Amino acid sequence: MASVLADNEQPEAVSGPARVGIGGPVGSGKTSLIEVLLPRLQERGYQVAVITNDLVTREDADRIRNSGLLPAERVLAVETGACPHTVIREDPTLNIEAAERLEAEFPELDLILVESGGDNLASTFSFDLVDYWMFVIDVAGGDDIPRKRGPGVLRSNLLVVNKADLAPHVRVDLDRMMTDARTVRDGRPVVLTDCHRGTGVDELIDLLVNETLFR
Amino acid sequence: MNVSARLFLLLQHGDTFFPSGAVSFSWGLEGAFNAGWVVSKTDLAEFLETQLRNRWATTDRNFVQVAHAQAAHPDAIAELDHMLEAMTLPEEQRIGSRRAGGALLLAHEKLATRGAVDYRRRQRSGEVPGHLAVVHGMLCAGLGLSAGEAEVLSAYTGCSGLLGAAVRLGLVGHVESQRILARAGPLIAELTASPPAPAADATSFTPMHDLAAICHESQHERLFSN
Repeated sequence: MASVLADNEQPEAVSGPARVGIGGPVGSGKTSLIEVLLPRLQERGYQVAVITNDLVTREDADRIRNSGLLPAERVLAVETGACPHTVIREDPTLNIEAAERLEAEFPELDLILVESGGDNLASTFSFDLVDYWMFVIDVAGGDDIPRKRGPGVLRSNLLVVNKADLAPHVRVDLDRMMTDARTVRDGRPVVLTDCHRGTGVDELIDLLVNETLFR
Repeated sequence: MNVSARLFLLLQHGDTFFPSGAVSFSWGLEGAFNAGWVVSKTDLAEFLETQLRNRWATTDRNFVQVAHAQAAHPDAIAELDHMLEAMTLPEEQRIGSRRAGGALLLAHEKLATRGAVDYRRRQRSGEVPGHLAVVHGMLCAGLGLSAGEAEVLSAYTGCSGLLGAAVRLGLVGHVESQRILARAGPLIAELTASPPAPAADATSFTPMHDLAAICHESQHERLFSN
């Protein structure tokens, strides 16, 4: 009798570096976050590579390559064909292919960061592509963003509220924004960051390491 | 496999829901659009027809057919793959064909399609380039599709990929793209009415497409890989 249930399905073996997705709206600070994460992860002894999904240009890939934070060959760019959500969710094959290429070329890698192109609150990562993903919003986008929910805010493993330093300048009630974020996420972690001063970044790395790298 | 099982298989693999990486490629269309060479629905229809008549029917189809026939012989597939590498001159088209073939192989490797795991290993190691037409023909045989089904699937996914890119470039709307796609059906039937030439006799003459792809290589602003 035909059935869509699988026979004796075994879980896929997990090996290689952890893959971590970084999604979020345009301008929320995903690339800036990567720029502050890279030296701190390296200080802790982790070997990292980055895949960017620039929407129109190669700006993010070039920015990370030119930053000197990583050898240029450890930064790959995948074009999105104007569909940033598709290449991290419904059809992440080119991102997976890029990750496998990095794994083969740099067997010492501990972590591959996959930066999504700027998208909207509905974007999510496929767990066939990443082991863990964070969603980055920023205070300048408005303190109502957590209340608007959306799969990115609700379902990400970690919600990052970035650009904390801008709160007084954009009339955002930061305490309320963080309370709303924690409420809608039902206990899943939320971190407040300021990438310019580095505030919150170590807390974020502690969570990331604990959840994905186990050391 | 009965008729509905075959039809279901074709629908699954012709659907843009199937994760083939196709969304990232425009096959020269973005370059032609940026250059002002393809700016109307008529231009787009001509671009697609030229691609089908002068590249797909005279090169891609030939390689799909031979790869389908040789699917049980990985060394013969590898030889074909290297031949297509040598016959695809614009770098972005060549790299695009390799990346698209690699993405398709990767999806089929995860799905354990017959032949995919071994050929993906060879492609990953750099032993073979993994061109799309070759990989497509081999995998269709692995799925149990006929050579005729494999070539129609190749033509259809080529058309839907190109027209999907046109919609995302804002060149035509969703209705016009379907009108063009519907007209491609009879053309593909005409182009597949007689057997293809052997792979070694394949030809290609798409100068505007090739120039557009060459110009695209150095364009900073881009939505697509090629």
